[in-house]
Amino acid sequence: MSAWLLNGLVALPFAFAVLTRLLARRETAAVVVAVLGGLVTLAWSVAAVLAPGPDVDLPWIAQLGVRWHLGLDGISGPLVLMSTLVVALCVVSLVRHDLGFGARSDLAALLLLIEAGVLGSFLALDMVLFFAFFEVALIPMWFVINGWGDRHDEAGRRRAATRFLVFTVLGSALMLVGFMIVRSQTGTFDIVQIAASYRPTGVAGVTAALLVGLGLAVKTPLWPLHIWLPDAHSKAPTVGSVVLAAVLLKLGTYGFVRFWMPVTDPGWRLLAPFVAGLAVVGIVYAALACLAQTDLKRLIAYSSVGHMGFVVLAVATFTVGGVQGAVFASVAHGLITGLLFFLAGAIKDRYGTGDLARLTVLYGKVPRLAGLFAFGAMASLGLPGLAGFWGEMLAIRSAVYPSAGLPAPTYTVLAVIAAFGVILTSAYFLALMRGMLQGTPAAVRPVNEDVRSVELATREVAPGTAEAGALRRDVDVLEWLTWTPLVALTLLLGVAPGLLLVPISVAAKAFFGGLS
Amino acid sequence: MRTQAIDWAAVAPPTVLALGALLVLVVDTFAGPPRSRRAALVPATLTVLSVVVAAGPAVRLWDATHRTFCVVRPLQGPASCSFVVDRFTLVFWGIVLFGTAVVALLGTVAVAEGRTPLGEFNFLLLCSATGALTIAAARDLITLVVALEVVSLPAFAMTGLRRGDRRAAEASVKFFLVSVISTAVMLMGVSLVYGATGSVFLDRIDAALAGGVEASQVAVVGTLLTVVGLAFKVAAVPFHMWVPDTYVGAPVAVAAYLSVVSKAAGFVGLMLVLVDGLGALADVWAPVMAVLAALTMTVGNVLALWQQHAIRLLAWSSVAQAGYILVPFGAAGASERAVGASMGYLAIYAFVNLGAFAVAAVVGTRYPRQRLTDYRGLVRDEPGAGWALAFALVALAGLPPGVIGLLAKVVVFDAAAGPATWLAVVMAVNVAIGLVYYARWLAELFRPPVTEGASRYDVPNGVAVAIGMTFTAGVVFSVFPGWLLDPVLGVLG
Repeated sequence: MSAWLLNGLVALPFAFAVLTRLLARRETAAVVVAVLGGLVTLAWSVAAVLAPGPDVDLPWIAQLGVRWHLGLDGISGPLVLMSTLVVALCVVSLVRHDLGFGARSDLAALLLLIEAGVLGSFLALDMVLFFAFFEVALIPMWFVINGWGDRHDEAGRRRAATRFLVFTVLGSALMLVGFMIVRSQTGTFDIVQIAASYRPTGVAGVTAALLVGLGLAVKTPLWPLHIWLPDAHSKAPTVGSVVLAAVLLKLGTYGFVRFWMPVTDPGWRLLAPFVAGLAVVGIVYAALACLAQTDLKRLIAYSSVGHMGFVVLAVATFTVGGVQGAVFASVAHGLITGLLFFLAGAIKDRYGTGDLARLTVLYGKVPRLAGLFAFGAMASLGLPGLAGFWGEMLAIRSAVYPSAGLPAPTYTVLAVIAAFGVILTSAYFLALMRGMLQGTPAAVRPVNEDVRSVELATREVAPGTAEAGALRRDVDVLEWLTWTPLVALTLLLGVAPGLLLVPISVAAKAFFGGLS
Repeated sequence: MRTQAIDWAAVAPPTVLALGALLVLVVDTFAGPPRSRRAALVPATLTVLSVVVAAGPAVRLWDATHRTFCVVRPLQGPASCSFVVDRFTLVFWGIVLFGTAVVALLGTVAVAEGRTPLGEFNFLLLCSATGALTIAAARDLITLVVALEVVSLPAFAMTGLRRGDRRAAEASVKFFLVSVISTAVMLMGVSLVYGATGSVFLDRIDAALAGGVEASQVAVVGTLLTVVGLAFKVAAVPFHMWVPDTYVGAPVAVAAYLSVVSKAAGFVGLMLVLVDGLGALADVWAPVMAVLAALTMTVGNVLALWQQHAIRLLAWSSVAQAGYILVPFGAAGASERAVGASMGYLAIYAFVNLGAFAVAAVVGTRYPRQRLTDYRGLVRDEPGAGWALAFALVALAGLPPGVIGLLAKVVVFDAAAGPATWLAVVMAVNVAIGLVYYARWLAELFRPPVTEGASRYDVPNGVAVAIGMTFTAGVVFSVFPGWLLDPVLGVLG
């Protein structure tokens, strides 16, 4: 039974993607099939998480020693659920969305393909299998950005798409080299065995850990390897940004927990503190970059870099608390940033621009949408009681109490700087809300009593026309349907973080033999 | 002296191809120029049949190693044989036979054009393939050099076969000159090795070198010259200058042949000479190969970035791929693992690359200028060819869904990581560079066509079969990679 559940989790989205593509001539039917695929996969993942069973472990390429080894535990489970939920919501959001160009059904099929690759990566417990699934998502994502991205800037979206592809492949190829070195040391690609018994030593061990870390750092992304990310996010279509931020970045953070920690020795004087240092630099850098952004999607993209910094900081402490923080922050970031990108897309659809200088007084025009955005921003800046808080709190706490072999004073300093980063994060989100939702005094000063006179769109719109109505169109039914689950889960995880933290800590203790 | 027993089962496949070549020539001579399009398919059909007939006995040789043309000298240890068919040989024969069949089918695009004499084309193709089969079984330097020339000589003629085409003639001459020089250099190296070790048999050379020879400096120089000669054949940088012009000037089918079968013959020669014969000197040649590999893939990929001509792009990409195939030599020295990795890559590269050339041949019927923009909308216009090319490009780039291409890179990384991590890192960077141009081409395929409408291509049946063969192989091996990789990588285990 369990084998069916695990293999099905990879096979289902793939099968539905193929089916959707085959039905491409009948657009509506194809979209319905895709939605069904997203929902079925979501239900399937819930079943797989609720009914734990033994791993699937079969030989795949005997001569290379590569095995088809899939398993689900408390580390991968939350990420699997979050991914299936976010992809399902993305596909559902395509039901109505008028993209203007390109077939919706093809976009939906690509999202399902990405889902298949992502789920495979989360389930894979063999290094080469992880690498292979890791790459599955790339070509579809490249198509999503290249084909459905920013319609005003064809050259830009091509550049963004190719840059995303090249950076990610460079990273994963380096990671693969690292995996191969680990194999030459341990004789196996099986990460469960490696985590249980491998003690990395010598030049080969350090090289392998460096290469694996470097590869994942590109994907996560860790400062200064994040340069592909803002472009990719801002040029991608809304669902592309959502999937990229909420799901694809998690391959990097999950890889850090599952595949980097076991091949790294926290006793090395330099590597882990160095990584933690980069993570903290990323937190501060991203916050400062956010303060300077003029485009809504780029701002949210940079905020992702900061959040990923917290995740990597947590990983680099080599503690159970760190793993808890990393996985929890990953899931929370998926829900919150997913929501924020959905909202940013909705705003961009209505006003035709993401330029912050042009967007003001949204409270006055689309109060519910603006309210949801305020909620997302609050969650993202780490307001206690919402999901974003616990991941960052745990990351900073575990940095204060890192693993025994690590230099505690260094980590304490890093924790303090990271906490300072939290303040900066609050600063830019509050500035954003003030500027975009409330409007600056200059903008609101009434020219006449109608707020609509503060024009938001790229061109002049006569009041009272259908187009002016579109500018005031607030959240509709489909949007409520798509966003409510994210809002609800953000609240739920905020008030009951134990739902995730307990299974994560159980799994972390089981997976890493000697973690304290 | 007693007469030698010849193991006819072992020599059957090359013999069948040679007889097939004669048959094609005779039929062509008596039938005269083909009167209909269907009649023009006769030579290609005969070629494919010869390949199938040759493959029959080859399959039966898998279980045991067959040796023939042996020299027994009781005082000097066991017999040394010139012609050995083992699993290594058979894997390579598989590549050659598959490649020859696909190239023969690709040749049929020239039917409509009417400027390429198909009888001669297929005759030359089979002659060259005979040499390619022989080289994989050769275990002495003389057989090896002769077989390599048998591969090359018909290839010059094939390159320049199109009547009244000055580009083709120029390509042919350039290819000829480079090849002659490389053969001369290689012969020089071979004779030095012979002088230093006193034997032309690879196993005896190996034994002599392992035991230590007096003139070890001579052996080293001989080794380096031999490597240079073979580097010309496999188009390793800096001996690659002939590749782009020759590929572009030759008919697409011939370019496909050069990039797959003829190049594979060069690699098999390299494997045999370096690993079987000169294994004891791995310390000398492994660093040379590592540098060659790094240079080859970097130059190939970087220059491919600027290409707008599809065949020229494939030519540079094939230079880059040669670099990847050289990596295991440079990394692992004389270990058998190295050969396994190179063989694995070569086998995968063979049908993936043939798939790309097959579609290029189709597009070439409509757009002889072969600009990348001519491929715009191919997936919509001609889905069969479009998806097949998309798959081939993705596999060449080493990404899913071309899982098999991804595993090809895994195999090579596996050989290199550890012994030569720096080389593996160089390769990782190159894989990323390569993506840029594959992605550029891929993007063209999926752009909406300039003019919406029905298929604008008249895909010849033979080429459709060729595309189908390569595409099916790619998809099947992507789903079940073990079917291909287990036997190929297990060749030496």
